[in-house]
Amino acid sequence: MPEDQKESAKPLPQSNSLTQPFWDSATKKKLVIQRCKSCDSWVWCPRPSCSTCGGEQLEWTPVSGRGAVYSFTVIREVVGRGGRGFEKEIPYVVAWIDLEEGPRICSNVVGCSLDDVYIGMPVEVLFENVTAQITLPKFRPLQASV
Amino acid sequence: MSIKGKAAIVAFGETPVDRLGRKPGERRITMPEYLSRAARLALEDAGLTKRDLDGQGLGAIYSTNYPQPFWPEEAAEILGISPGLLLGGGAGGASGVSLLAQAAAVINSGLVEIVLCVAAAAPFVDSYTGIHPGDTRDFEIPYGMMGPNSKIALVMRRHMHEYGTSLGHLAKIAVTSRLHASLNPSAYLRSPLTAEEYKNSRLIADPIRLLDCVMPANGGKAFIVASPERAKTLPKPPVFLLGFGERDNPVFGASSHSNALIMGVREAGETAFQMAGVTRKDIDFLELYDDYIIIVLMQIEDLGFCQKGDGKFFESTDFTYKGDLPIQTGGGMINCGQPSTAGGVGLLIESARQLRGKGGQRQVKNARTGLVTGLGGVAYGKNLGCTAVAILGRET
Repeated sequence: MPEDQKESAKPLPQSNSLTQPFWDSATKKKLVIQRCKSCDSWVWCPRPSCSTCGGEQLEWTPVSGRGAVYSFTVIREVVGRGGRGFEKEIPYVVAWIDLEEGPRICSNVVGCSLDDVYIGMPVEVLFENVTAQITLPKFRPLQASV
Repeated sequence: MSIKGKAAIVAFGETPVDRLGRKPGERRITMPEYLSRAARLALEDAGLTKRDLDGQGLGAIYSTNYPQPFWPEEAAEILGISPGLLLGGGAGGASGVSLLAQAAAVINSGLVEIVLCVAAAAPFVDSYTGIHPGDTRDFEIPYGMMGPNSKIALVMRRHMHEYGTSLGHLAKIAVTSRLHASLNPSAYLRSPLTAEEYKNSRLIADPIRLLDCVMPANGGKAFIVASPERAKTLPKPPVFLLGFGERDNPVFGASSHSNALIMGVREAGETAFQMAGVTRKDIDFLELYDDYIIIVLMQIEDLGFCQKGDGKFFESTDFTYKGDLPIQTGGGMINCGQPSTAGGVGLLIESARQLRGKGGQRQVKNARTGLVTGLGGVAYGKNLGCTAVAILGRET
């Protein structure tokens, strides 16, 4: 079993040559998404080439970390053995977050009660350190800017 | 060149479904046994023997419970046949419909005359492998996504938000499907269901409830495809492939945030209708891939039977076998069980059964043309990744 998985009962992402820049940035509390240098399209999930124009010059580009809830679900039950690591967290929110820049990413909404989450809710990224290699970007209600 | 009317389903077979193996010590039947029984039933239906398949085509569908890279060859070994061509169904639950068209294409190329398509799975016997697509593994599962239930929950909530889709609209589909299941001796869930029971079933992943979801089961299914000429030599009336379309990895809008409320059947359906040269009004029944109730509703919209978000259509339409637009005439997969990727083949078989006029108590009167869909894979940030649509007819 990889070292990472011993530290956490929850399944962790694989950091590989395609995805490592994303996870390395997350460890440094930065959210980055690939962007095509040829056509400016955002590319998400990580790809070897642009899904719009086929260009291979993709640049990991910082994004604001602000967005809005496109949809969400409240997980009430574990389904399958792979999900047992989440048993203690139930119920929790998994959401699709539309980033200000466009890409839609799947993450958790934390830092508020389940009942407070709604479609369109403004959110911002926070970083949850899980292991030395993996930090998961999650989202919380947008704090009033200072 | 179109393959319209140039191939037919000439036979089919399916085992009863069961859920053996859920409990420790319970009797278990292995996947190869389900596979073998389904193939035997299809051969009997065709009046053929295994030797008639030597040198012919074999299409075998990969399942989530047994992702073996050389599966079509192993299927040939299990069945004891020596095919002249192997096709692999790699489109998940869309594979049955997709293989039908692939079989039609290779038959019309002259490579083979007959193709046997088989699928079986025993999810309660073979443990789930836990091999996931990279996007799911890296960017969904670490957040506690619980497979398709949670994904389709996201789609369903957004659909309800954007279009005002209500539990009442969905209940109508659930209740109609169960009514048909009650008239189908081989359905698994056959006791009548009320709208209230649907609406009050327990929440799994809001707003997805237990009775929104298809139920895993063990079972095997098979069908045989042949040229119209060869079909004439066989005992049962052929069911012709009139139109087909497939759309995989569909994208609606920017690829980084595709519209998750539109399904690939919109494109696949358009292609199928054009090939068949028929209109929505010509369709006597729909057998829609039903891993979730909301997915049935969305397919009715995206196949063009109503406008997107037309709740009134769902209130006013009678979807029963006697109604304006019969759907899920055998009870659908939701009530017949889902042996992994073999589940969708059941919808294809029910279509063929209806077009043979052998639908028993649930027979759609004068059914001449039917539409069946297959869906597979749940893609990151979207709905179903593989979508296939076939239009079938009693005559060419």
